[in-house]
Amino acid sequence: MVQWGAVDTFESMNQDKDRVNSFQNMIFDLQKFWADYGCVIMQPYDTEVGAGTSHFATTLKAIGDEFWNAAFVQPCRRPQDGRYAENPNRTQYYYQYQVILKPAPVDPQELYLDSLRSIGFNLSTHDIRFVEDDWENPSLGAAGVGWEIWCDGTEITQFTYFQQVGGIGCSVVPVEITYGLERIATFMQKVESHFDINWNGREDDKKLTYGDVLKRFEKEFSAYNFDVASIDMLLEHFNDYEGECQRLLAHNLIMPAYEQCVKANHCFNLLDARGVVSVTEKAWYISRVRAMAKNCCQAWLDGQESR
Amino acid sequence: MQKELLLEILSEEIPSRFQKNALVNSSSLFTKILNEYGTNFASVTSHISSRRLVLVVKYLSKKTGNVFKEKRGPRVTAPERAITGFLSANGKEASDLIERNGHYYLNIAMRSESITELIPQIIEDFILKMPWPKSMRWYLEDQRMLSAFWVRPIRSILCIYDESPIDAFIESVGINTCDYTYGHRFLSPEPIRVSDFDDYAIKLKQNHVILDYRKKTSAINDELVQQAMVMGLYVSYDGELLEEVTGLVEHPFVRVGVIDGEFMKLPAAVLSTAMRVHQKYFTMTYPDLILAPYYGVVTNVPITDDMFRGMNRVLRARLSDAKFFYKEDTDVTLEAFAQRLSNIVFQENLGTMAQKVDRMMSVANSKDEHRAVALCKADLSTQMVSEFPELQGAIGEIYARVQDESENVARAIGEHYKPAGASDVLPDSFTGARISFFDKLDTLVGLLGIGITPSGSKDPFALRRSALCIIRLLCDSEYDVLGEDNLSWYITTLINAFSEQGVALSTDTLESVHRFLTGRLKVYMTDKLLIAQEAVESSISSFDSFDFNYKNAMIKAKKISSMIKRPGFNTIKEALKRVLGIIGKEEGRQDFDESDVSFISTYMDNLRNHINICKEINEEAELFEKIVWISELVLEACDCVLIHDIDPELKSQNLGLLNKFVKLVKSNIGIE
Repeated sequence: MVQWGAVDTFESMNQDKDRVNSFQNMIFDLQKFWADYGCVIMQPYDTEVGAGTSHFATTLKAIGDEFWNAAFVQPCRRPQDGRYAENPNRTQYYYQYQVILKPAPVDPQELYLDSLRSIGFNLSTHDIRFVEDDWENPSLGAAGVGWEIWCDGTEITQFTYFQQVGGIGCSVVPVEITYGLERIATFMQKVESHFDINWNGREDDKKLTYGDVLKRFEKEFSAYNFDVASIDMLLEHFNDYEGECQRLLAHNLIMPAYEQCVKANHCFNLLDARGVVSVTEKAWYISRVRAMAKNCCQAWLDGQESR
Repeated sequence: MQKELLLEILSEEIPSRFQKNALVNSSSLFTKILNEYGTNFASVTSHISSRRLVLVVKYLSKKTGNVFKEKRGPRVTAPERAITGFLSANGKEASDLIERNGHYYLNIAMRSESITELIPQIIEDFILKMPWPKSMRWYLEDQRMLSAFWVRPIRSILCIYDESPIDAFIESVGINTCDYTYGHRFLSPEPIRVSDFDDYAIKLKQNHVILDYRKKTSAINDELVQQAMVMGLYVSYDGELLEEVTGLVEHPFVRVGVIDGEFMKLPAAVLSTAMRVHQKYFTMTYPDLILAPYYGVVTNVPITDDMFRGMNRVLRARLSDAKFFYKEDTDVTLEAFAQRLSNIVFQENLGTMAQKVDRMMSVANSKDEHRAVALCKADLSTQMVSEFPELQGAIGEIYARVQDESENVARAIGEHYKPAGASDVLPDSFTGARISFFDKLDTLVGLLGIGITPSGSKDPFALRRSALCIIRLLCDSEYDVLGEDNLSWYITTLINAFSEQGVALSTDTLESVHRFLTGRLKVYMTDKLLIAQEAVESSISSFDSFDFNYKNAMIKAKKISSMIKRPGFNTIKEALKRVLGIIGKEEGRQDFDESDVSFISTYMDNLRNHINICKEINEEAELFEKIVWISELVLEACDCVLIHDIDPELKSQNLGLLNKFVKLVKSNIGIE
């Protein structure tokens, strides 16, 4: 199980490297690690999602028995979590690093720890723990078991063995590893706030922090999400996306249909942040998104079986 | 050690909350399996930590004894050929077939087998049958199939018997057993070869794994207490948290940290929850039990300053959020929050929380009660409760104090979720107990009224718990929660309140609530108070309607229960039964030979005297014995005397006497 000597290799590698501790380097290193492992390095899904799980490279690819290894950065939008850039570590927009390994290889935990070592994370000075946290996304009919990985009391990664997607048991069990990039960076750079993360690794007047790059975005989007977004437009869009999803499924265009579902979900999240969705309505919207997602997953599975 | 079996299943991290039960379940399951295979052994013990489940069997004989094993054959509906084939393959005849669940079975005598050959099958059986509360499967790439269910993927299996490694392929999880294990994930990642359990235990200890679960728990506790003591502090004992952190580490390290002073203005409940529930840190108090600005952390590796900064940072982040919520929330009044309750659904068919509050209002009485009901659910719309849901009630109480509600109202708000179950404390205040009762009764009336009843293990709205809490409020509270009204009045008033809100409950709701509560009262008395079933039944059946005083019923049941155990109780019961039978009949038996009338009158006089004497007996045990004696006399009288005498005067005298006996038993023994 243990890759003999792997620990030493990575730690010495990092010492040799004249590394610059920056947000962007951390991402480069992760990309390199997972590319070397054999993942296809993809790019973010170019529509608003709440988590890397919603990328079709996770959801749809997790269905069926086709093998699939992929990794990518995914910007995530959670309108409710906006704090007008006033909270040091809560934002409505943040980055996940998403890895999907299907099937889960032997000992993915050690592989994950190696990936941390590869980005220069000194494991011996941190308390890393695997704390039970099962994951469930009823709207995708998805469920899995796993852990949240704690570093010194902070959750830095979600680690999940999918057991079911689209209401169907996985015949080849994938593991999904979702890194919280800002949180890991705050540990590596020993800063207190996400906004203080050194983004480009410069220490001179060309230095750019996370705040320099994204603070204004965060402020303006908090205002948009909570105070200004057009409710009528969002309501209309939700209905449009829902209709389009059905129509596309009828044409057996599953990936475009799935995209409508993702978009509808974001509209719903915005409406929720605007505070116009009562609890009863909330359940209704969620059930509509769930129905869309389920239909897409089912159609995808049917397509795979007939192939 | 000779003839010792050591089995270690090393897996990815086992959830903390499963570990303690797995300790017991695994050894009993393993014992059961060993017995099924007809093995001889002295003992089975188990050990558990976050990554390993270990079983040790002492003196496991090298050969099994002779046992019979049931072998499943074809379905009953299978073609004749299949069945004869099954029989001939096992050298049996048709008369040997056993039919069960649509299959034929045969009892096959197993010859004595070598244990080393059986061990792989025993391991397979154990893995397949081990009952984890939640388990998973993973993909075995070499075998192109899914694994058996286990709590998390298994990474290696160590198996040693009689000091020699067992080399076997465990197919269901795709693993070859071996003679080495691994120590602490971070402090000792290299493989360790072991020869038997003693060697294993020593080497694990050297490699930073404390195998003994209880020792690990007390090591954590002792270290926390020690470090706190040096600072003049107490650790707030939290058994659940202690168990949780025990299951998260293989080698515990402890350190005490400091909370920034700015957060100490937050309510203690918020601080405690953030520390204990969210961060799994222990809280500490000063000797006067006031929360101190310190916390205890338990880690799996030695704590560096860097690490400590991280732990501080995450706690600070949580507390700054809490501080932000506290400030935002206390800018708004509880009344304003209460208005937002119309956005929170209580139950799909029963409207919102605001409507629940309105209904509770219909049974509230005093000024304080009205005020407490109006505000008791308000905290559900606060930011603090949405972040810390476990603090519902507590936050309402704190905010009520902030806005200068009366002490009684604030307390009632905080207490109205109590008791939360069978062993939780009851509300301290009368108003708190009343509001709690209104809340739970409303839930029960509404849900039973729309036909939602618990069945088997399904009780999604926890109605059994609501009923239990109502029963405890009525039986165990020092207060008379019902006041001047009876239970039916409350139920009916709530039903009417539902109907005013346009919710029509089923027409038999009153009866079904009574029936449900009575049913749960019986369960409470037998299962929780351990009162004999018979006593509970006779206590409850002694009331002629559902609407009886639960407290009296409980006292009565307890009393009967204490009587039941006494010698002579059955005599009293028998006499009462006979008497009630005779009183109930219009006419008695006519075949009596009442030749000696004087003898009979002496008989009845004697009985009358004894019954009358009872009034003067104060000592309980003496009275009981007297009643037993009287019961014997009554039984004799029933045999010898024609109670329904032809002479109307004698008849009424006799019946009067027997009725006196019934009353005597009813008031002193409690049965009727």
